[in-house]
Amino acid sequence: MSETEEVKAFYKEKHIAFVVDQDSHRSFEYWLSEHLRMNGLYWGVVSLVIMNALEDALPQNEVIDYILSCWDEKTGGFGAFPKHDAHILSTTSALQVLKIYDNELQVLGEEKKEQTAQFIKGLQLSDGSFQGDRFGEVDTRFIYTAMLSLSLLDELTIEITDPAIKFVMACQNFDGAFGMLPGAESHAAQVFTCIGALAVTDNLHLLDDDTKLGNWLSERQVLPSGGLNGRPEKLPDVCYSWWVLSSLAILKKKHWIDLQKLEDFILECQDSKDGGIGDRPDNQTDIYHTCFGIAGLSLIDFEKYNFKEIDPIYCMPTEVTKKFRKWKK
Amino acid sequence: MQHGIKRVSLSAEAKRLKLEKDKSKIAHYKQLTENIFSLRNLQTYTVESLKETTQILQINPEFYTMWNYRREIFEHLKNNIPVEDYAQLMDNDLKMLMVILKRFPKVYWIWNHRRWCLFELVKINRVDWQYEYAVVSKLLELDSRNYHGWQYRRFVVQNMQIQATTKAAPASKNEESLVVLGINIEEFKYTTSKINKNFSNFSAWHNRSTLIPKIYNLYLQLEAPSEKSPDVYDIFKSPRSILTHELELIKTGMYMDSEDTSIWLYMWWLLTEKFFTDELRKEDGAYLAVLEEQLANVEELNELEKSDHIYHWDNCWCLKTIILVKGLIQQEHVKTNKSSALLTQDIKNHIQALIEIDPLRKGKYLDQLEGKASIIPIL
Ligand SMILES: [Zn+2]
Repeated sequence: MSETEEVKAFYKEKHIAFVVDQDSHRSFEYWLSEHLRMNGLYWGVVSLVIMNALEDALPQNEVIDYILSCWDEKTGGFGAFPKHDAHILSTTSALQVLKIYDNELQVLGEEKKEQTAQFIKGLQLSDGSFQGDRFGEVDTRFIYTAMLSLSLLDELTIEITDPAIKFVMACQNFDGAFGMLPGAESHAAQVFTCIGALAVTDNLHLLDDDTKLGNWLSERQVLPSGGLNGRPEKLPDVCYSWWVLSSLAILKKKHWIDLQKLEDFILECQDSKDGGIGDRPDNQTDIYHTCFGIAGLSLIDFEKYNFKEIDPIYCMPTEVTKKFRKWKK
Repeated sequence: MQHGIKRVSLSAEAKRLKLEKDKSKIAHYKQLTENIFSLRNLQTYTVESLKETTQILQINPEFYTMWNYRREIFEHLKNNIPVEDYAQLMDNDLKMLMVILKRFPKVYWIWNHRRWCLFELVKINRVDWQYEYAVVSKLLELDSRNYHGWQYRRFVVQNMQIQATTKAAPASKNEESLVVLGINIEEFKYTTSKINKNFSNFSAWHNRSTLIPKIYNLYLQLEAPSEKSPDVYDIFKSPRSILTHELELIKTGMYMDSEDTSIWLYMWWLLTEKFFTDELRKEDGAYLAVLEEQLANVEELNELEKSDHIYHWDNCWCLKTIILVKGLIQQEHVKTNKSSALLTQDIKNHIQALIEIDPLRKGKYLDQLEGKASIIPIL
């Protein structure tokens, strides 16, 4: 290694403290983010589990108690915070965290498992798409989270997946990438949800020539930073390290971008003083970018960091995802 | 999720002061939240409870449960007040949402509530899509790439079309097509104006690509197409005339900024989209002629760029496009898209050069050289 190349450190201990500390930061902003708390918990748990620090850092019973306290018995799903309404996004996060601790989801019990499955299935519309709750917002994000949740509950059926995937394929654009709805512009996070939905439902063969999509994804890497952006002519952002790289990983094309440069970019976005990762160098850190930065590093080289390997489809450790049955057509 | 906010490192003292200052804000916010949850528990669906949710949503528009409660209140009020009053409530919400959207243009829940209100107005036949159309134009002025804004625009346009075709007294098929075409032509012109302001606006290019086949097909349905917006009809006479017009448009952009990916992506669409190529293939050699002409253009630009570069490097996007177009030409000659037949020595040399000037994507280029990835990606 030449002298001009500096080796960038990964501040593991600081990140662990940053994640664990989320709850003790009782600023006004903390209270304003109750509606994201279940997702926040998932981002924190994934960050820790990938860094092999979950057991020591978070008391398992407290996490599980919190999740159960967010159960919304009116609808049979999970809200983001106690008393908040159930939504598909918080329900998926809840299931992902529970699954990381307990492959059989025993703490939920058969009745709640059944109700959760019914809640999700009830959100599917006649065109195959899913709404986030009964108020009608439709987005390919909700198809992915629905497919993922039903997979974790082992409740997928062809009657659900076929129309859902038909809707997903209607969201593919001329550039090979996907948008949030049919006719919507391609967006890297939406690409992840669409390819993820295809992968969870054993439908990747529908992308019979994925070169165009792979091309579009690889063009997301930009100079001079080496980071990835979400759309043409937009700035790079650490969270796309996950959305784009996981998509490339599912397509077996991770080598279509410069992983070393991306790794450098993620490391550059760390806060070396207080821990955590931000969207760009020198920007404010948060748990969301911390999670997807770490998840990105795991996809790049989990062994180098002594991380757990992450599953690009489920965004959970592979040691968790290989334990449960994957649905086959 | 924090985006684009510079990190500030607070001293312990500054942190303490902030927490101190936050205290009263937090107390107010928690009080408000608790109050609303207890109102909801008591199934209170009054104008007063509505005001409470307004207060909290103005502080935190991401509090989705509060939007839900607000809608529950509306659902109950609706049955107990005159239609006119309900319409007024919805109009008030639209006004409030506009104010919040200007501050939080990327919050899904706000856009979703606006949609919900509009469908409520549809149910009582009081919706004004034209007004929404003006609203979304205004919001896209503030951020011309706002993903939500563009999606909302398509939603409004779609509903304007639905309204135009489901009038009480059905107009003739021709009249209907005229109205729908008019709406789409407006949209087409809108993308032109956005592009002229900034060629990098891929959101506009994307919309344009979906509008083109639609407008063409609508013109086909007219009894006297040449009478409807003759200047636009000139462009839309045939896929061929559209292609010529669009290629001319991007040529300007290419020379203005050859690094802009939006223009190149759009060009690739023009040169590979079935809507155009099927038409061109009807005439012997027409597709090849277009490809040859575009190749010459891009090669000329590349030469200019090379002479500007200190090491006389090829321009990256010119070279990518040269490879694609040469591949397409080769495909026309050998009548197959098999990689082995397309990879001429000349194309291989270009790919080798790309590895040098675009090393980020070296892995992809190596796959192409080995025939593992197509040089002309198809959908
Ligand atoms: Zn981000």
